[in-house]
Amino acid sequence: MTPVLLLQVMALGLLTGLVYALVAAGLSLIFGLMDVVNFAHGQFLMLAMYAAFAVHAASGVGVALELPLVVLLLFVLGVATYRGLIARALGVATNRGMVQIFVTFGLGIFLTGAAQFVFGGDFRSIGDGMLANRSLILHGLHLPLAQVAAAVVCLLAFAALALISRTEFGRALAATREDREAVALIGIDRNRIFALGWGLGCAAVGVAGVMLVQFYYVSPNVGADFALIAYVTVALGGFGSLLGALVAGILIGEVEALTALLLEPSLKQVGMFAIYLAVLMLRPRGLFGRL
Amino acid sequence: MPTLLRRAAVALVVTLMPLAWTSSVRAAGDVVIGAVFPLTGNAAQVGIDARAALETEAEIINGHHDMPMLLGAGGGLAQLGGAHVRLVFADSQNNPQTARAEAERLITQDHVAAIIGSYTSATAATISQVTERYQVPYISADNSSPSLTERGLHWIFRTSPTDVMFTGAMFEFMQAIGERTGHKAASVALIYEDSIFGSDSAAVQRKDAAAAGIRVAADIRYRANSPSLSTEVERLHAADADVLLPSSYTSDAILLMRAMHESGYAPRAIIAQDAGFVQQSFLDAVGPLAEGVMSRSAFALDATRARPAIAPVNALFHARAGKDLNDLTSRDITALQVLADAIGRAGTTQPEKLRAALAATRIDGAQTIMPWRGVAFDDKGQNSEADPVIQQIQGGTWHTVFPFAVATAAPVWNVGK
Repeated sequence: MTPVLLLQVMALGLLTGLVYALVAAGLSLIFGLMDVVNFAHGQFLMLAMYAAFAVHAASGVGVALELPLVVLLLFVLGVATYRGLIARALGVATNRGMVQIFVTFGLGIFLTGAAQFVFGGDFRSIGDGMLANRSLILHGLHLPLAQVAAAVVCLLAFAALALISRTEFGRALAATREDREAVALIGIDRNRIFALGWGLGCAAVGVAGVMLVQFYYVSPNVGADFALIAYVTVALGGFGSLLGALVAGILIGEVEALTALLLEPSLKQVGMFAIYLAVLMLRPRGLFGRL
Repeated sequence: MPTLLRRAAVALVVTLMPLAWTSSVRAAGDVVIGAVFPLTGNAAQVGIDARAALETEAEIINGHHDMPMLLGAGGGLAQLGGAHVRLVFADSQNNPQTARAEAERLITQDHVAAIIGSYTSATAATISQVTERYQVPYISADNSSPSLTERGLHWIFRTSPTDVMFTGAMFEFMQAIGERTGHKAASVALIYEDSIFGSDSAAVQRKDAAAAGIRVAADIRYRANSPSLSTEVERLHAADADVLLPSSYTSDAILLMRAMHESGYAPRAIIAQDAGFVQQSFLDAVGPLAEGVMSRSAFALDATRARPAIAPVNALFHARAGKDLNDLTSRDITALQVLADAIGRAGTTQPEKLRAALAATRIDGAQTIMPWRGVAFDDKGQNSEADPVIQQIQGGTWHTVFPFAVATAAPVWNVGK
């Protein structure tokens, strides 16, 4: 193995890891805020990808138009999901935990079925985008342009999320996370904060979906593989920690790539889960978890 | 009390509805055939296309389309008084356990005469165990894993070639093209998904390569449906074999081609083990990147001169599915044709007699839409007369390039250049 090959694989692992991180960020945000695991997270990613695909097919303008439209759509979808489903699930008298799981799980299955009904089961992809099938060549390293763009946008999205957490809304989010009963006393509308939190979490997935569809195919089941990795990423980084999601996403991208290079490509998820188990044993709250 | 009554009424209706449904659609004398395919999940499109193909063939058998092939005259199965073929579809979700349960349901509840399936070899492995236990024929339309017919099962009949036959054709082609151009392939790289299809395919390729004296420069088994194949591609790039032999389903095939392009790796020749590479969505997704890709195939859409039924059957299928027949859908059509012929000759759906009729099948290739010598099963249930072809994407469409006798285009061979 040459050093160039190792560097190449690590660079690609980093690019993939940043996408994993952004997919996980939305999940982590929602979980950290209200202890609800969104089992429809992968399906939201899938919807974002289809939406970007549709905008691309209709306009042909590119990422500049797809990003704002899809992010807005996913934000609205997130708020609607909270208002229509989650708030009601939180209000049930018994077995609240199970109801939350089944509501989001059922929503996921519904969305997959709806996508197959509307878009068909075929694999679709943007073949003629500005970023498609092009590579940046740096010192002998081939970096796919679409993935570089995705990585940059992911970092920007993380920066935006970090900035939001410093605003008044961000502080309200944090306060609600700490003690959801007490915030009502200081005039914070808990429901509104939760709804905005869902909107924000889904908007983050929207960003990931738009960037992903620039180089990845979309099908009704595309979310499942990414969602599994996102759950691991969140648990590894620490529930509710933004920095944790970023670091864990990159870590998983690298572990996957290096396992595939140095050991066996068919074992790459084993490497990922091995790290996860090790962290769970040594530091159950995750790398950056506060809980 | 009224609520209780209402609930009881609803429960009664819900329980009785399926009964009413079944009795209303089961017309007297219909021959019921089960079909297990992935209708949802990652391979859903393949199953949806398979359904369109089987429905097309049922329409040919039952209707009056007058196709120039066996049972093409239509009007139902003459030996059973013009009985119609009726299909019952079940969704395997491309999951071996679900496929097993659905096959069992079709046999015990729908009382199907036989089951056709199932695209992926992993699902065929479980379906064929169920059909063996219930002694109902399983017609393997498009499963290529050789091990399926090597397990001593009596109730499996595979109309299409296995990966042993397919891979044999690939290596024959490499030998022939090497002699013709003077540029022999000295090395191959294997990349294959980690289920029964990919693993079996690679095992045969390894053996054939050793027999042909061709070096295996890379042997990469990857996880199916993984979000990225870029590291795998880097390993292929580093090995830089003369011919790349991938065994992949659609999603992985798309990822593989894109990742190779992005990493600046253009293999001199690619000969695919069919599956994902022959799907229309693969061509749509990778577009010009697919130019020059070769694949083994059981079907040749361009063999219209030798097989007059191809054009009209394809037109009928196209009206239903909105796309041309491909290597998989053509095999689904042929599987139902072969099964219906056997049911007709048996004159009954009684399992033992149907099995005997299937075993005695003798169909001339010209009576089908396939480029094969014909259909005749060996004692393991494998059609020994299904000769594969090698096809190549030239100008965005598939052309048959081997065997040279039936080729419609000259192969583009870049090894040694």
